Amino acid sequence: MQTRSSETLLRRTFLLGTLGGTSLGLISLVPRRAAAAEVTLLETGSSLLYPLFNLWVPKYTAMHPGVRITTQSTGSGTGIAQAISGVAQIGASDAYMSSAQLKKDPGILNIPLAISAQTVNYNVPGLNNANLKLSGPVLAGIYSGKIRHWNDPAIAKINPGVTLPSQGIVPIHRTDGSGDTFIFSQYLAASDSDWADNVGYGTTLSWPPVQGGIGAIGNPGMVQACGQTPGSLAYIGVSYAAQITKAGLGTALLQNRAGNFVLPNPTTVGAAVAALEDKTPADQRISLIFAPGENSYPIINYEYAIVNSRQASSDIAAAVRDFLTWAVDPAGGSTPEFLGVVHFLSLPEKIAALSKAQIAKIH
Amino acid sequence: MRTSPFRIGLVGLAGIIPGMLVAVVLFLAIYSWPAIHFNGIGFLFRETWNLGNLYADPVTRRGVQVPIGAQYGILVFIVGTLATSAIALLIAVPVSLGVAIFLAEGAPPRLRPTLSLIVELLAVVPSVVYGLWGVAVLVPLIAHYIAPALDDVLGFIPFFAGGSPTGFGLLSSSLVLTLMVVPIITATVYSALLQVPRPDKEAAYALGAMKFEVAVRAMLPMVRGSIVGAIILGLGRALGETMAVLMVSGGAINHLPGTITSPISTMASFIVSQLDSAEQDPTGMAVRSLAEIALVLFIITVIVNVIARLITRGLHVGLTSRA
Repeated sequence: MQTRSSETLLRRTFLLGTLGGTSLGLISLVPRRAAAAEVTLLETGSSLLYPLFNLWVPKYTAMHPGVRITTQSTGSGTGIAQAISGVAQIGASDAYMSSAQLKKDPGILNIPLAISAQTVNYNVPGLNNANLKLSGPVLAGIYSGKIRHWNDPAIAKINPGVTLPSQGIVPIHRTDGSGDTFIFSQYLAASDSDWADNVGYGTTLSWPPVQGGIGAIGNPGMVQACGQTPGSLAYIGVSYAAQITKAGLGTALLQNRAGNFVLPNPTTVGAAVAALEDKTPADQRISLIFAPGENSYPIINYEYAIVNSRQASSDIAAAVRDFLTWAVDPAGGSTPEFLGVVHFLSLPEKIAALSKAQIAKIH
Repeated sequence: MRTSPFRIGLVGLAGIIPGMLVAVVLFLAIYSWPAIHFNGIGFLFRETWNLGNLYADPVTRRGVQVPIGAQYGILVFIVGTLATSAIALLIAVPVSLGVAIFLAEGAPPRLRPTLSLIVELLAVVPSVVYGLWGVAVLVPLIAHYIAPALDDVLGFIPFFAGGSPTGFGLLSSSLVLTLMVVPIITATVYSALLQVPRPDKEAAYALGAMKFEVAVRAMLPMVRGSIVGAIILGLGRALGETMAVLMVSGGAINHLPGTITSPISTMASFIVSQLDSAEQDPTGMAVRSLAEIALVLFIITVIVNVIARLITRGLHVGLTSRA
C-alpha cells in the first residue's frame, strides 16, 4: 500500500515536471509591464552586444549614481520582444526589425550603436594558417549540400595554387536564433540567387538538409564545434576573434561585390560602411551586407538598440536618452577603449548624428 | 459529510495540482488553436519546418495571416524525441536495476548511505552541467572512438555504420539522457527494494536461492510497480529534457536521422532554440506553432503514461492468474 501511493505521487510529480518543462519556454510570451520605480534600466538581447554593454555600464553608472542598468544576454529576438512589451527599456539586436513588425508596433526605434563584422572560419588541418578564399555562391553551395568536399572544383577554382584535401565539409549553423545567422544568410542571399529563392534570410533558417551538417548553440558553441571537428566550417561574430585564434581556426578571405577577396579589418569594414553611409535612411534600418567598393568587407552590420519611443515615465525616458547618447558619442562610449575590446567599429559621424536624432524621439 | 475548515483546506490544497494541470493544458490548447487550425493533422507528419520570410509582408493563407513560405512540420522532432528517450531507457534501465540491487543487497552496509547519497546528488545536477560535459568530453569521445568502434563491430547494420565526423547527434543525446535518467531510476528502485520485508527474503534463502536469485527472482517482482513508476519518471525527464540535449544534439532540422550518429532535434530542445526567432514573427503563427509542439509533447507524455499503466496492470493480472 505504501509503495502504491508513493508511486502515484511520483507519477503526478513527473506529469507536472514535464508540463512545467514544456510550458517554461512559453512563460515569456505573457506580456508584462515594467513597474515604474526609481531609474533602473533593463537591457536584454544580443549576445554579441552583451560584452560591450558590460564595458559601458560600470563606466556610465559610476558617472551617474542615480541610474542603475541591468544587462542580460538573451538573444536578439527576445531583446526586440521585451523592448516592445516594455519588460526591457533597451533591447539589443544584431538585426533590425522588419517592416511588418514595425507596422504592428510603429513606436519602436532601431538605433545603431556600433558596427560589427562576421568572419567565416574553418578547420582544415594544414590550411588553417593559409586564409582560404571563399565566396557567397561557394558558401551557399556548401550550406545547401551541393559542395561536399574541400577539393571541390568550385573551391579549387578560387584557390589556385592551394593543395586542398579531399576531406568532407561539415557546415555548422546556429541552432538558436541569431543575428549572426541573419547577416550570414543575407550575404548568401545577396550573392547567390538560388539561395535567395530557396532559403532566404532570417535569424533562424529552414536549413537545407545537408548530410553531416550540424547545429551549434551560440558563438562559443560554434568555436568549440568547429575547433573539435576537422573539415568543418562556421560563421562567427568578430568579437570572438580571440577565441577563434585560440582554437586555431582558419579565417576565410571573402569575396566582395567587386570580386575581391578580403579579410575583416578596420580598413575593409570602414570601406564597406563608407559605401553605404549615404544610403542609410532616417530610421536607420538598412543591411550593410555585400557593400560595393574595391576594399569593402561583405559581412558587416549595425548593432542596434531597440527602444520604444514612448517610455513608462519621463524619468526613465530621460535616463535612456542620456545613456544612449553617451554610448554613441565619441567623447563617451564610442571609443576604441570600449569598442576595440570586442572588435567593433564606432559609427561614422553622420550615422552617429542620425542615431542621436532617433534617441531624441524617446519620451 | 462534515465540512470542517481542515477538510476544506485539504480539498483546496489537493485541488491545486489538477487545477494547474488543467490550466496548462487549456492555455496550450487555446493559445495554439490558430496554429492547430492552420497546420492541420499534417503538422505531425511533415518533415519541413520553415518560419517563412519574417522580413516580407505576411500573406493570407487558409484565412489567417502567415509569413510567406511558412510551413510547420514536426515529424523530425517527434522522431528525435522518441528515439533519444528509447535509447536512453534501453541503456539506463538495466544499469539502474543493477546499481539499485547492488546498493540494497551487495554494498557493504557502512558504505550504503554514502553511495546512495552520491546517486541522489547525481539526480539533482543541473542539466546544463551534463550538457557542458557532453560537448567537452562525450562528443569528441564519440567522434574519435565510439562511432568508429560501432562502425567496425556493427557496421553491417546500416543504422550503426558510417562513423561520425562530429560526434553531435542521436548517440550523444541518448548517452547524456542516460546519465540523467540512471540516478532517478536507481534512487526510486533502491528505496523500494529497502521496503521488501525481511521474512520474504529469508524465505527465499531458506529455499536455497543464491544472492542473485533472491534479488532477481524474489525482490524485483515484489517492487515491480515501483520499477515501472521509476521508468516512467525517468522517461518523463528524458522526453522533456531541453538544455543538455540542445547542446549535444547537433540541432537537426528538415531531415530524419538515418544512423545512430545523425544529428537530431527533440521537441523540447527545438522549442527553446526557435522561440527567440519566432518572437519576431509579426503574425504570431510561429510562436503558436511552438505552443502546438508543447501540446503534442504533453499528449505524447500522457499516451506513454497510459501505456505504462496498462503494462503494469497486464503484468499484475498475468502474475495473479498464474498463482
